Amino acid sequence: MFVTGVGVVSSIGLGREAFFRALEAGKSGISPVVSFDAAPLGREYAGEVKDFDARDHLTSGERGRIGRCSAMALAAARMAIEDAGLAPAAVAGPRTAVVLGTTMGEARTLAELDRQWILGGPEAVSRAKIPRYGSTLLPVHVARALGAEGMVLALPAACAAGNYAIGFAADFIRAGRADVVVTGAAELLQELQFSGFVRLAAMAQERCQPFDLNRQGLLLGEGAGVLVLESERHAAARSARLQAEVGGYGLSCDAYHITRPHPEAQGSIAAMRDAIGRSGIAAADVDFVNAHGTGTRHNDAAEAKVIRDVFGEARIPISSMKSMLGHCMGAASALEAIGCVFTIETGVYPPTISYDTPDPECDLDVVANVARRGKSDVVINNSLAFGGYNAVTIFARPGVLPPPRAAEGRA
Amino acid sequence: MKPRAVTGFGVVSPLGTGREAFLESMRAGASAVSKGPIQTIDIAKYPGVRVAEVGDFDATRFLGDKGLRSLDRLTKLLVVATRLAVRDAGLKGESGWPSTPAGAAAWADRVGMIVSNAYGSLEAISELDRVAVLEDRRYINPSRFPLTVSNSAAGYASIWEDIRALNVTVSDGNCGALDAVACADMFLEHGRADALLVGGVEALAEALVLAFHKLGVRGACVGEGAALLVLETNEGARARGAKAIAEVTGYGTSFVAPKAVGALLCPSSGALEHAAAQAMADAGITGADVDLVVSGVAGIRAFDDEEVRAIRRVVGEGAIVVAPKLALGETFGAGGAMGMLAALAHLQGDAATPVVRGTLRGQVRRVLVTSLGYYGNASALVMRAASR
Repeated sequence: MFVTGVGVVSSIGLGREAFFRALEAGKSGISPVVSFDAAPLGREYAGEVKDFDARDHLTSGERGRIGRCSAMALAAARMAIEDAGLAPAAVAGPRTAVVLGTTMGEARTLAELDRQWILGGPEAVSRAKIPRYGSTLLPVHVARALGAEGMVLALPAACAAGNYAIGFAADFIRAGRADVVVTGAAELLQELQFSGFVRLAAMAQERCQPFDLNRQGLLLGEGAGVLVLESERHAAARSARLQAEVGGYGLSCDAYHITRPHPEAQGSIAAMRDAIGRSGIAAADVDFVNAHGTGTRHNDAAEAKVIRDVFGEARIPISSMKSMLGHCMGAASALEAIGCVFTIETGVYPPTISYDTPDPECDLDVVANVARRGKSDVVINNSLAFGGYNAVTIFARPGVLPPPRAAEGRA
Repeated sequence: MKPRAVTGFGVVSPLGTGREAFLESMRAGASAVSKGPIQTIDIAKYPGVRVAEVGDFDATRFLGDKGLRSLDRLTKLLVVATRLAVRDAGLKGESGWPSTPAGAAAWADRVGMIVSNAYGSLEAISELDRVAVLEDRRYINPSRFPLTVSNSAAGYASIWEDIRALNVTVSDGNCGALDAVACADMFLEHGRADALLVGGVEALAEALVLAFHKLGVRGACVGEGAALLVLETNEGARARGAKAIAEVTGYGTSFVAPKAVGALLCPSSGALEHAAAQAMADAGITGADVDLVVSGVAGIRAFDDEEVRAIRRVVGEGAIVVAPKLALGETFGAGGAMGMLAALAHLQGDAATPVVRGTLRGQVRRVLVTSLGYYGNASALVMRAASR
């Protein structure tokens, strides 16, 4: 299973080139929120996408029926298909599926309907807007615009949704049910969600500082990351450029606490070991970990435990893109997967910016503040999510991983 | 797909909670469509909308009275169905997971769940929105906030029952619960779990009733409930001495978008034709082998007509079609799972779900289960009586 195209809508750049440049430069996408008045909440910063204009990517007909979350997903999907060099006709039809992750999908649409209802009663609710809510719509809108007629599926797997979608997409191709899957995730910044994180006392002021001793919490972000996954046969038949191989992936569930990771992180450790095992490699073969690194005390401590447990004394370089993007929730691990493709293609580990003081509890080789060059054959994309969800995917330079053994279930 | 064993199920529905009560309702041909006021919502405000409620739902009867206070109805429905499912399949007893031999993985790490849900916790979201709009965003209840996240119910269910192999929430409108089965098939194939609880959940919320009211949906009925089937490989089921009560043997899905640029809602018989044809091919059968079709027909004319049209084309003019949603209500994300349970009831004998085409007769050995989504999406799967 190979990644043959990527598309990005993010606070640090639109499209592959801009996103890759920003990752290398350690650009921050954090800025004061403008889409709603955050000031009274005592927190004002997020990785809000300010340069995305749906008119640049969508037809007027599409804009008329699509919410912002789906619009970002569709724009990223179009970029990914162009990046893959796929003609529109090549993705139309029943052999292309669209599988996308999200946490809340079109949350703004629901908020608007609720607002009408609360203030004006049932009569005030916009009839035409009702069908525009539901996370199901995310893949529906994208598939429709692309002419894809295979599966349309949304995976609301919270902050690990991107990894869930990519893993599922790889399995779906493997099962012979599709040749091409347009996959990834999208999320938008929304007022209720923002307020909720403030109320949970989980949000930092201005900087997200993963693994730093003085980290104050997460910052929210938004965006869309979409990847084109293709079967080896389909990619070979059109001599597609293979950007990365999707290795094995691992899943588990903590069954411990709804918002916090298990302090011993056994589930997360098991998921990472499983991903490595299913890729037919050993931990020593992994070059870099694109960490979940949210900047909360609990997450980063648990994740440090995972990395130390899996890699032992070997000081594997790790970094968190959330220092630049904020936590894009469902979209996070999809954007980070594209970060993995970036590392494989360029040999560059994106930096963890805003990293000032090492935390003895997170005794890790953090790529601090400045990007680093290094071996980049095998990269891990780690995620832990709300609900105790853990998902880990592995990306590799094409040709590096041993041939898949069906029984091992390599994605 | 390889035939997958169904070794048990858990259900909370307007037509009964638990295996015996549900199957008895199916046999009796009972209907849950309300004729008067219900307990959770003042439906008098929404004339014309019909609902099917899980009446007298009391989660404490199944879960005890600790730890339920901060949970919403959606979560409680799912947690109860989860408990019923692991017990019904003999995976777990009163004293928890059975012990495993030294060196073998614990049962908790070998069981996972895949849950379809279409709309999340509208109850919790509306409640917090109400505080934010009428009072202040700063006062929203942080202990209720997690409920607004779409995978919250499944996350809580894993905690309550200690289910750790994996936990996946899927969303494909009314088709999601059938897609969850495709997901389970792949996970079983790749050894990610030995047993998977697969199905869906949706809770009656005033916002859903309001939506049906505003959209002028009159024939259909807003339902609720949770249904989880336990799926295992046949070898795995045999190895632990579990009896298969049926098998799932094929799956298909498709999406055919509406042609009109501005249209969004779209009943697509084309999509269902593709999905059903794929499911039958996947199961290695033809229309002539299908004894019964358990459809997603729910009382919305335009969608019902397209669904039956697709079924006639794929299965043939002799297709016998039932519609459990006419008795249970539309349960959206859980709809496909309720359909699978209705199929089970027919495979086991004398079920009497509402017939929309043909006449029920003789033994049912193979069932096609269909779901038609609101946006051009459709999924289908094939179930058969367990091989002896």
